[in-house]
Parts: sequence; C-alpha cells; structure tokens
Amino acid sequence: MDKKQIELLQGTLDMLILKAVSLGPLHGYGVLLRIQQISKDRLEIQQGSLYPALYRLEHQGWIASEWGESENKRKAKYYRLTAAGKRKFQTEAEKWNRMADVIAGILQSTPEEV
Amino acid sequence: MRTLSRIQSWMRAVMGRSRMEREMDAELHFHIEAFAEDLARNGVPRPEALRRARIEFGAVERAKEECREARGISLFDGLTQDFQYAVRTLRKNPGFTATAVLTLALGIALNATMFSMVSAFLLRRPPGQEPSRAVVISGINPTQGFQSDLSGVSAPNYLAWRQANHVFVEIAAADEYRTVSLTAQGTDRSGQGTSIGRPEALRASAVSSNYFRVFGVSPQIGRTFADGEGLAGHDHVVILSHELWERRFGSEASVIGGTIRLNRENYTVIGVMPANFRLMGFVPQLWMPLVLRAADQTEAARKERSLNLYARLKPGVTLEQARAEMVTLAQRAEESFPETEKGWGVGVRTLPEYLVQNFSVRGGLAVMMTAVGFVLLIACANVAALLLARAAGRRKELAIRISLGAGRLRVVRQLLTEGLVVALLGGGGGLLASYWGINLVRANMNFNEYVSAVPISLDWNVVFFALAISVASAALCGLVPALSASRTDVNTNLKEESRALSAGRSHSRLRTVMVTGEIALALFLLVGTGLLIRRLSVLHNQNLGFVPDHLLTAGVTLDSAQYKDASQQAAFVRNAMIQLRQIPDAEAVAATSDLPATGPGKVTFLIKGQPELPANQRLSALDFVITPEFFRAAGIPLLRGREFTERDNGTGTRAVLVNQEFVHRYLQGQEPIGKQIRLDVSGATPEWSEIVGVVGNTKSFSGSTREEGQVFEAMLQRPISSFALMIRAASDPEGLVGAMRNAVRQVDAELPLVQVMSMHAVIKRQDGGDAIFEALLASFALLALILAAIGIYGLVAYSVGQRTHEIGIRMALGAEKPHVLRMVLRDGLKMTAIGAAMGLVMALPLPRVFEAVLYFGGENIQEPALYFIVPIAMTVVTMLATYIPARRAMKVDPVVALRYE
Repeated sequence: MDKKQIELLQGTLDMLILKAVSLGPLHGYGVLLRIQQISKDRLEIQQGSLYPALYRLEHQGWIASEWGESENKRKAKYYRLTAAGKRKFQTEAEKWNRMADVIAGILQSTPEEV
Repeated sequence: MRTLSRIQSWMRAVMGRSRMEREMDAELHFHIEAFAEDLARNGVPRPEALRRARIEFGAVERAKEECREARGISLFDGLTQDFQYAVRTLRKNPGFTATAVLTLALGIALNATMFSMVSAFLLRRPPGQEPSRAVVISGINPTQGFQSDLSGVSAPNYLAWRQANHVFVEIAAADEYRTVSLTAQGTDRSGQGTSIGRPEALRASAVSSNYFRVFGVSPQIGRTFADGEGLAGHDHVVILSHELWERRFGSEASVIGGTIRLNRENYTVIGVMPANFRLMGFVPQLWMPLVLRAADQTEAARKERSLNLYARLKPGVTLEQARAEMVTLAQRAEESFPETEKGWGVGVRTLPEYLVQNFSVRGGLAVMMTAVGFVLLIACANVAALLLARAAGRRKELAIRISLGAGRLRVVRQLLTEGLVVALLGGGGGLLASYWGINLVRANMNFNEYVSAVPISLDWNVVFFALAISVASAALCGLVPALSASRTDVNTNLKEESRALSAGRSHSRLRTVMVTGEIALALFLLVGTGLLIRRLSVLHNQNLGFVPDHLLTAGVTLDSAQYKDASQQAAFVRNAMIQLRQIPDAEAVAATSDLPATGPGKVTFLIKGQPELPANQRLSALDFVITPEFFRAAGIPLLRGREFTERDNGTGTRAVLVNQEFVHRYLQGQEPIGKQIRLDVSGATPEWSEIVGVVGNTKSFSGSTREEGQVFEAMLQRPISSFALMIRAASDPEGLVGAMRNAVRQVDAELPLVQVMSMHAVIKRQDGGDAIFEALLASFALLALILAAIGIYGLVAYSVGQRTHEIGIRMALGAEKPHVLRMVLRDGLKMTAIGAAMGLVMALPLPRVFEAVLYFGGENIQEPALYFIVPIAMTVVTMLATYIPARRAMKVDPVVALRYE
C-alpha cells in the first residue's frame, strides 16, 4: 500500500459512493475501483466498511440495487442512483464545496488579514 | 416516501431473512473473488491472491453484522437471540427457574383472582344502550346514615320532576322491593299446573311503563309494558325474568299470553327478559306495572320515599347540567312542602357509578387489591434478589461479554429479557392457578342472593390484567439486577479472584435494601390484617343484646287482594300467633317489622313538652312494630314497666316501649314510664303514645357495635303488611321449619313464606362477606410473612456462602463458633429491626385509613397491642429464617474453607 494514502474523513464515504454510482450502475467492488480510480489511489478505503455504507444508503432510498451480470459473466449486485439519491448528492456536494472553500479560506489567511 | 422505503427494506430484511443472508454472502464473496482475480492478473499466484484479498477486505462477519445493523434488523435479531439465550440459561438452572417462576406465579395468581372480583363488580357494563348516559336520581336524606345519599324518591316528586325537567329524555320509576306470591295453577304449562302447589314468594319490581325504554333493552320474547298499562284496571300484566321463566315455566315460549296467579289475582304474561338484564346483584324475578293512584299524589305520600328513579340524559346534556336542574327542582319542592321536604336533597349519578356505590364494594376491594399488590411486590423483590445473586455469580461472564464488544445496553436488555421470560412463565402459571382460585372465591361468594347474582369469572379483563402485572413484574425483577450488572467494571471483575473478600458487596447491599423493604411491607400487611380481623372478631363475638340461638325466622308479605285494610292484617297476625303457639317445641312466638340487629328503619319523633322542631331536626330512633311476645322470643330483657299485651290493640290507648339507650340519649335519665311521645309514622295521623316499658339495648346491626335509641310499637295498634315471624324453639330451630309452614297454611293456604331460616343464618347472610374477607386477608398476610422469611433466608444463606472463606479465616484465627453465629444473626436482626420500624411507621395511620375506606361508622379499631405483637412475631420468624444458614456458617471447617475455590 502506498504510504501517501490519506484516511477518509468521517461521513465522506457516503458522498463518494453516491458520486461513483452517479456515473452508471456499479457492483460493490466496482464502486471501490471507481473511487480509487478517480482519487488516483490517494484515498484509503476500508473495504469492509464499504458494504455497510451501501446497505445503509439503500435502506435510506438514495440508491437501489438489482442483480445483474458482471464483465466476466458472473452474477453481481449492481447499485444505481435513485432520483432522491441524485438530489441528496447535489445538496451534499454543494455543502461540501462551500465547507471546503471556507476551510481553505481560513487556512490560507495571513496574519495581516486577521 | 423515504419512510416507506425504509419500512419496506426493513420488512424485506426481516421477512426474507435467509434470502438476504444468501445475497449478502454472494455479494461479499463476489467482491473478494473479483479482487483476487485482479491481483492474479497482476502476477500474484492464485492461492496467495485469495489470501491477500481476504486480509485486505478485513473481518467478513463484522461487515455482515454492520450491514444487518444498517438494515435495522439487528434489534429484532438481538431480541430473538436474547430470548433464546434467556431460555437456555433458565433451563440450565432448573432450581433457580422453578423458585422464581413459582414465587411470581403465586403473586400473580392472587392478584388475578382478586382482580376477577374487581372486574365483576366494577368493570362490567350494565345492560342496555350507552349505560353511561343512563342515570339514577336519588334522594339525599338529611339524617346521616348508611347510604343516606342513595335514598328513594316519593311518588309526588317523581310525577312533578317527570313533568318539569328539561334534561332527561324520560324518567322511569321502580319500586324494587315488592314481594308477591305466585301460586301454580291453571295455564302454567310446566306440567304441575293443575294442582295448587306450595305458594312461592317472589321478588318483584313494580316499574313505570317506560322503564325498559330508559335502559334501552328489549325482551327476549314477547313485549315490554305499553303506556296505558300503568293505569289501574289495565295493570294485570307481568314480565318474567329469565331465571323464573326457566325454573317455573320450562323455558316455554308459549308462556306468553298465558295467565299466572300472582297475589291471588290473574296476570297475563307479556314478555320474558334476557338473562343478562340485571343491575349488578339486584335481580327481580318479575316486573309488574307501577300504578300511581290519587293517594300517591297527596302530601302524605311525600313521606313514602320508595321509588328509585332511572332516567336517560337528553343528547348533549351533561351530567352536571342534569344535576343542576334536579337540585333546582328539589329546592322548589322544599319551598312548597317544607313540612316533609325540608333538608332533603337530590343526587344524580350515572348508572354504573350508582350500582357500584349501592353495592358498596369499592372500599373492600381496594383493601384486598392493596394487600395482594404488596404480596406481589414482596414476591418480585424475592425474585429480583435471586436474579441479583445470580448476576453476581455471572459477573465474569458479563465482563467477558462486555469486553468482547457487547454494549452495556445489550447486557441490560439480556438480563431484562431473562426477567421477562421468568415473569411470563410466572404469569402463565399464575393465570392457570387463578382459574382455580376464582372458582374457590365464587364457591364462597354465595352468602346472599345479591352477591351470588354477580358472576365472578376469569374474563378478558383478568387475562389482560395478569399480562400487565407480569410485564410490570418483569420490569421490577429484571431492572435492578440488570442495571447493577451493567455497571460492572470490566477490569476489576476480570482480575478479581473469587477469593476477594469484597466480592459482591454492592450486590448484597442492594439485596439488603430489598429484603428490608419486604419486611416492612409484610409487617404493614400483618398489622393491617390484624386490625381488621380483630375488629371482625370483636363483632363476631359481641353480645348482640338478644339470644340468636334457637330462633327460627321467616318473612311474610300480606297482599292487598286478601288483606285490604288494617283490621284484616291484624286478624292474620292474631290467628298466625295462635297457630304458631300450637307447635309443641315453640317456647315463644312473635311477629316483628324487623328482626333484631338487621338494621331497621328510623322514625322521627317528638317528646311531649319539648318544642316542635322542623322535620329535618327532629330526634330519631330505630322503629320496630312488634307483637306482645317479641321480647321473650328474642330474649331481650324487660328492665322496667311492662310488655305489650293483647289489650294493646286498636281500641286501647297507644303504648310504646323504648330501649335503655333511648332513655339515656333523649330523656337524660328522667323517669321514662308515663312519658308521652309522638312518632312521625308515615300514612298515620300523628297520635301521642305513652311509654309503658323499657327494654335492654340490642345492636342496630350485627356487623357493627353501634347501639341506638329504639322505639317499639304494638302491631295490633299499627298493623303492617310486611313483617317477620319468630319462633323461640326448645330444640333445633331448623327442625321446626315444616311445622311453621303448616301453621301459616292453616291461616292462609295461599300465603308464601320467604327466607325461612335460623337467626344465625340471617346474620350470616348479612355479614357473610366478612368471613371471606377475613380469611382472604389472613392468608395474604401470612403469605407475605412467609415470602419475606424466604427472602431473608435466601439473603443470609447467600451471604454466608459468599463469606465462607472469610468465616474460615476468622475461625482459623480463633473466633469462637458462638461469635460467628452472633455475627451472622446480627445482620439478620439489623434488617428485621429497620424493616419492622419502617413497617410500623407505615401502619400507624391504618385505623384512620380503614375508617375512611370501609365506612365503619365511627367505630374505633385502635388495637395498640398489635403494634407490639406483630413486630415480635415478625422478629421470631426472621430470626428462625436467619438461624438456619447461620448454623451452617458455624459449622464451617476452617481448613476446608481456606481451600474453598
């Protein structure tokens, strides 16, 4: 494992999953690969915690699942974003961006500005 | 929408449990496989790839558990798991389980049994539509007395109120205590109709024609009264009760339209009421029309308050509005007729409320339920103590479970579930036992027809109640040990060797508190029961002022068909006395308006020379109307003057006798003989009577120690239509029943006798409830004592067991055996002393509480000795319970004890 990986911030995994499946239906392992791919392997994701998050999101109705066939012709459970999930993802993403801006603004501030 | 999807997902998860598990397995498996394949593609050998994939993934089971939790099924899961686990542990400890279940079953059985009475008397809905909209209008007697606020209403008031009120749809009137004779004959189709059998006396209720309409009940067959049937000449119609129809007419529908002979006149049967039409215990055997004549509208008729009024509220009218309106009407009557109505008020109650008050069972039931409630509390404390002791033994197990990640809440839930399983088993057992208990109570609740008429049974109310108290018991039993166990400090418990002397100290402190509480409750119950039993035994053994042994009694009601006027009534009495005197074993015979100690009615009076007072401030005394031999027959001593003779008849000057209390209370010890008094006897013109004799006091009522002023009038001077016959027998009074019936038949073959029974039987009929009350309370208190003793025994035995090691050391260091014994006994004594002191403080206000709840009528039931005897007895019992395990402590062999564990 790359030592430069950073640990996921609390509560951000849900958002990343929503982003991952917003690009098209994915099975659990696919979600993991997609996130790693987008993040260019800079995030450390506990594989074991991925599934509880998927189940929770499905339970809340943000994503839906159905069984389908994987690339190598095996049965796999595919998740896709629901309409409610889409709205949820948009508000969450907006919130996150605003938060990131504010935090970044604070961290970049110089003594003169304060 | 989202809530819906969540519920759906939860339902799917719970219902399709195995499918979900399968899918979860498949999904995770696919993940690991796919991961391994990717690794293999990058050149890792296949088996190594699979291994690495598994390691990377982490704990599969934990992930699964978290997935289940995400679906919200772990709660449900946990519950079934807790339940299974509880059943398993309980099965592993059959001794513990049996003790706990039996203890609770006992407590719950008692409560369920007693509650069946609450259900039967207080919770059943009266018959008819919307019984809570049906009301009863009662008079309020200005002279205080037993149920003086449930007095009857006079016919003139009924008629006036019926006209004037704006709050009721209708008001119906009922004269509910008439006795009529039924003679079998003619069209009676039971098959015995042709011969004139023995006439039977029946309880009849004369009701206005709208009576059944007010209740909203329909007859089982036939019809109810039509409006014109309340008029004289049209009133010879009758409605039968289900019981009478079944017993005398073989449930034949053809009885409708037939004729039966009542009070020597023919009546047409028009209907039969269903079996469930009864007002608690008050069940007439038949209903006849109430006929109100011109005489019932005179001012004299205002003194005859014999009607019970039933009404139905108009839609939208509240009980308060109805009350206010009736109070106004009663005030109007008071203003118009001050002579008779002064001070009389009016009360309006809903039908259910009226029935409960009229039966006056609430106080007794409250006392009983409190007693059994305390027994259950004690039982719960014992079971809680057992669970606590076991929890102490399981500290390590719990500590391990907590350290392995079980939440504290989970542990609490686990222990509560165990409590619940025990309580539900106990509840089930208790309910089974209560079936038997209820049968026992029902078999004993038959001392008079009113009580027998109320069916006590194991109904749904009882089942729900048993379930509710089982769950409450579970909470009581389970919560204390559960909370104390969850506070377990994992580290100390895992490290703590069982050798540690401080083991379980906090647990035993909690148990000590509970056992002390048990002792307090048991003592409280014992003192309370003692007080009540003492009172009842005083009543039971009191000198009633007359001799009830060898006394045969019977009731007679002369009908108006044969006995139209006073002289005919007097003739019957004279002839009956002559016939009764012929009976060889009859030492004395008499007739009296009321048997002694059966609570006769009161009469107001004026003593000559004293100022005339308004009606509601006049002096009053209990009124008896008797024949000359009454005092000899009853065994009441004549103290001064003379008894009545045959010459005290219609033509002689009016004479009365009074009792000693009368002289003491109203004549302030002046010479009573020759004093003139005037009784306000209803229906008669006031006349002065001369006091000719003074007799000894008798109790007003057998169930009370009260003595009041009494006045005795001569029956030949004021004949009455309803009275009792008495025979003082030289032999067994029950042996004279046949002779008595024969003698009366000689005078009038068609006149039935009611309640032919010995005086002792009369008293038992009156006070029969007391004996049951007494027996039940005594057994409850005893049970409480036994349970408390078991509780203290269990605690001391447990702590001796825990302290074996410590005791061993003490003895090895030279402690003498008696010293060890004292040490253990001292603990028990301390608990008893504190508990007993608490119980005594709780019991101090009991006499006043009983007075308020059970209406003793100002009787004093202080019994200071009880407050000493009970604690001493309690101490003896608890010391015994302590001594058994203490002796075991004394026998500890130091060598064995030090090697212990």
